[in-house]
Amino acid sequence: MITFTIDGREVRAPENAMLVDAAKHGDVEIPVFCYEPKLGNPVGACRMCLVEIEGIPKLQTGCSTPAKDGMVVHTQSERARVAQQAVVEFLLINHPLDCPVCDKGGECPLQDITFGWGAGTSRFIEPKRHFVKPLALSERIAIDRERCILCYRCVRFSQEISEDNQLVLVERGAHSYVATFDGHPYEATFTGNIIELCPVGALTSRPYRFRARPWDIEDAGSVCTLCPSQCNVTLTVRDERVIRVLARDNGEVDDGWLCDRGRFAYPALGGLPATAAALADAPAAAENGAGRITEPMIRDGGQLRVVSWERAMTEAVAGLRRAGERVGAIAGGQATNEEGLLLARLMREGAGSPHVDSRAAGTLELELHLALNEPRLQARVSDLEFAHAVLVLEGDPIRDAPILDLRLRKGVRRHGMKLIRATREELLAGPRELADKLAGAGEEIVVLWAERLTAGPDGSRAAAALLELADALSLGDVEGAGLLEIPAHTNGRGLREAGVLPNAGPGLSDPAATGDASPTGRDAAGIAEELAAGELTGLYLLQSDPLLEPADREVWERALERAATVVAHASFLTEGIREHADVVFPSEAYAEKEGTITHPDGRLQRLRPAVAHPGSIRAEWSVIVELASRLGLDLEVLTGAMASAQLFESVPFYAGLTLEEIGGKGVRWQEREAAGAYPTREQLV
Amino acid sequence: MTEKLLFADIDEPGLHTLGVYERRGGYASLRKAFSMTPEDVLAELEASGLRGRGGAGFQMGKKVSFLPKGSMEKYLVCNADESEPGTFKDRELMQKSPHMLIEGIVIASYAAGAQRSFIYIRGEYVLQADVLDAALAEAREAGFIGEDILGSRHSLSLVLHRGAGAYICGEETALLDSLEGKRGNPRLKPPFPANQGLYQGPTLINNVETLSTVPVIIRMGGAEYAKLGAESSTGTKLVSVSGHVQRPGNYEVVLGTPSREIIYGLAGGPPEGREVKCWFPGGSSAPVLTAEHLDVSYDFDSLAKAGSMLGSGAIIVVDDSTPILDVALKVAKFYQHESCGKCTPCREGTNWTVKMLQRIELGEATPMDLEIMASVQDHIMGNCLCVLGDAMAMPISSIISHFKEELEAHMERARLRPAETLVSA
Repeated sequence: MITFTIDGREVRAPENAMLVDAAKHGDVEIPVFCYEPKLGNPVGACRMCLVEIEGIPKLQTGCSTPAKDGMVVHTQSERARVAQQAVVEFLLINHPLDCPVCDKGGECPLQDITFGWGAGTSRFIEPKRHFVKPLALSERIAIDRERCILCYRCVRFSQEISEDNQLVLVERGAHSYVATFDGHPYEATFTGNIIELCPVGALTSRPYRFRARPWDIEDAGSVCTLCPSQCNVTLTVRDERVIRVLARDNGEVDDGWLCDRGRFAYPALGGLPATAAALADAPAAAENGAGRITEPMIRDGGQLRVVSWERAMTEAVAGLRRAGERVGAIAGGQATNEEGLLLARLMREGAGSPHVDSRAAGTLELELHLALNEPRLQARVSDLEFAHAVLVLEGDPIRDAPILDLRLRKGVRRHGMKLIRATREELLAGPRELADKLAGAGEEIVVLWAERLTAGPDGSRAAAALLELADALSLGDVEGAGLLEIPAHTNGRGLREAGVLPNAGPGLSDPAATGDASPTGRDAAGIAEELAAGELTGLYLLQSDPLLEPADREVWERALERAATVVAHASFLTEGIREHADVVFPSEAYAEKEGTITHPDGRLQRLRPAVAHPGSIRAEWSVIVELASRLGLDLEVLTGAMASAQLFESVPFYAGLTLEEIGGKGVRWQEREAAGAYPTREQLV
Repeated sequence: MTEKLLFADIDEPGLHTLGVYERRGGYASLRKAFSMTPEDVLAELEASGLRGRGGAGFQMGKKVSFLPKGSMEKYLVCNADESEPGTFKDRELMQKSPHMLIEGIVIASYAAGAQRSFIYIRGEYVLQADVLDAALAEAREAGFIGEDILGSRHSLSLVLHRGAGAYICGEETALLDSLEGKRGNPRLKPPFPANQGLYQGPTLINNVETLSTVPVIIRMGGAEYAKLGAESSTGTKLVSVSGHVQRPGNYEVVLGTPSREIIYGLAGGPPEGREVKCWFPGGSSAPVLTAEHLDVSYDFDSLAKAGSMLGSGAIIVVDDSTPILDVALKVAKFYQHESCGKCTPCREGTNWTVKMLQRIELGEATPMDLEIMASVQDHIMGNCLCVLGDAMAMPISSIISHFKEELEAHMERARLRPAETLVSA
């Protein structure tokens, strides 16, 4: 820490913090446009942050001048004020001042800074620079070049963060403008971030354009559940509808970025996978929430038709009664921990069936689950950035968990992290050899592995090899090193820890120990086989459509064909639901949900309802609780908070958690004292 | 006062060939430098007091000494993007005496410990680039460039890179970006190129004339060279004189020569019957001086004291037949056209200034516009990322202060002009 003086007050700030950041420690704001630390080193282009520093003849840019001990800085001196007013005046001479019809109006840094630091009058009477506007930069982004103040943020994002290198500045001087090569659409994975980076209304979201003014909307924080990245988001809500998704910076999760799927798929929120098709007609779908199931339905004469909740419940209860113990349940990856826990209880305690699964990759022995999830072996997301090396094992981060791709790029670009890839075959061929290859890269190594590494008949062998690799690299003993799994589904880790596995109860406990049901159930593939064979007759699908999973499609078709009762919670009539479900409960979208999910690195995050349920949708947990009660099981849950409390009690290493503690940024259970309750392999019966 | 050091043999036929250059004593300085340690060579450069000839006038020896010591990859870049309006001295040097530049680069790289060097030449200098290419081939052939030069264990590669014709690429950091294959935009300083320049490595950047002077200094000895010229402006300077003079051209003068002697003595002064109205002492980006200042000594400090600068050493003379508004508009348009657009004051300020000047020309301005224009120049000066904005603001500002009455008279006249003549204007 150093002490410096700014506008007459003594301020303590971290050494070498740039003045614009250091000033905040003294409650002084230095205005900026181009400065954005997330984009890398400052560029000093906009000149908005000019300040006077005693002993330096010229004004200096606060964004690029580190605070030094004893420095005396003036942001309000005559010279500094004149310069700030001058820059605002310069920026405005070509800016159209069409604020009344601009999406950014009301939440615009240029407006705020003009108000705060501008002279308040205009001396410019010449014609302004003109461009055709607005133009489509892509399907999702509109560009208004007249509004652009050429701060370079979007270009820097494209070149230095997402490294897609598509955005460039063309022409020169006052004629400069942001463009893509030859006008090609800006298509990449993270393009939407430039909308948020833009300090004016030059880059706007096409789906959001003219949907609302900032005073029409409310913000609600939640977590995107469309992939395992679980990026933190702020949902923009108007009239009980989500009309925009923004990133909510969480350095331990998303680093403040959001992928285009998370940003633009909101019309399909709650849809199973946000499909390309859903994305393409996002604007149209946003109009009416097209295709969303909002009422309970039952199959009647081969067709699904809308019925009352009472009728659907009766139907479901009757079906489940008929199936008795011969029922299986599958939880989809967007289900919350609470929903998973309650579903498993409904099956194990209510129906007496051990057949519950949530894992896409098939069964793994419980002791392997326990070993792979061991707290000391778990790497954090931020470790990816600072590790000496990251080994990507059988995964494709940009597809499996896109936001991690940006983190890996950041590690390589800014911290010299070494990125290595290996296949499952290489791992199976010899974990020790693979470890030898990595040994030279440094001590802090993170192995980023995809759940599908442990799929199939060789799954257990691959898991064992992975553990051997971890052992050879001493990942458990080095701070900043470890394993980080990318589950196949969003809440794969949380559902597993909540006990939605055929061979484990809550907290990865041995089901044999509880004695409630026969020790081991069948996994998803097994459930399909038994349904097809007529051994099982009922199927309970919690936000899951097995026909959307590419694996085992044939078996599943036969299974669904033969199943006597299929009860499903769903948001959309996808093929499996449309053709085979007998009772359909309308599902909540994540924006409507209350509950917790667990990030791949063990961070419990909280979903908070941003909008009310459309139609007659009810909370998922309450549907399960009601079904259980009609089947004679009291799950003792009356509110969403009670469901969470039950989860924290049931999973020993979540013990003592509260929703307040999880808060807006989440809590990694491995970093809490209760992590000591994690079962060891020796505790297995 | 003239003294021919750089131009000693400049009109020797065939000087651009290695044979003639060596017969006139070429590459002897290189041999002499290699007989010394790099530290001693550097000491000579520092003793010479040689100030950079590109425009900023920073002491060359000091610049070399700023490079970190050590065995990391270091670069030497010769700035041959001579693009300051009125400046054409490097052109003559490269065209007629390319080996002198090459020799200077090799010696400087030896002193700086750089093993890779580049000449960044403006794209319009086609002939000069071809001459340099040929000279480079000869120098390589003769072993003046390459591995273990003349048994000195010093190695140097030298690449000639042709720019694409942007004024901004003469700014050293924009030049580096352009050389790296990026859009030529200036970088934020610090870090300075001496610490983090080309490809993030320590880089020495010097102008053609500066580097061409290096063999002279080694031949004469730094102390001897420093005896020439004014106190803190040592040695000789190539001055490009253009505009309204009878004998425009490049002249080598000892720094400290009275300006009148250059403009009237060497260049012959304005044509018969005309008077000097104003003159740019150091390229179009220098504030203008008037006839009053003709007796100012032509050196870095005296010109600075007179309110202008020596810059690139390009004297542009404007005589009393030219309306000052034309001068201002020409200058402003050039910088508006060449502004890279990266920083706000330059991008918008140059653009605004041109629009105001055009309005004055058309008779649509009022005296208040002069005040606004002057304040816009003040707002540009010192507030930009690089010096391009200042390069317009300084001359325009000086024109407004020296010629306010003429501008006001023009505005009045233009305002009263009948409408039909305005259309033709």
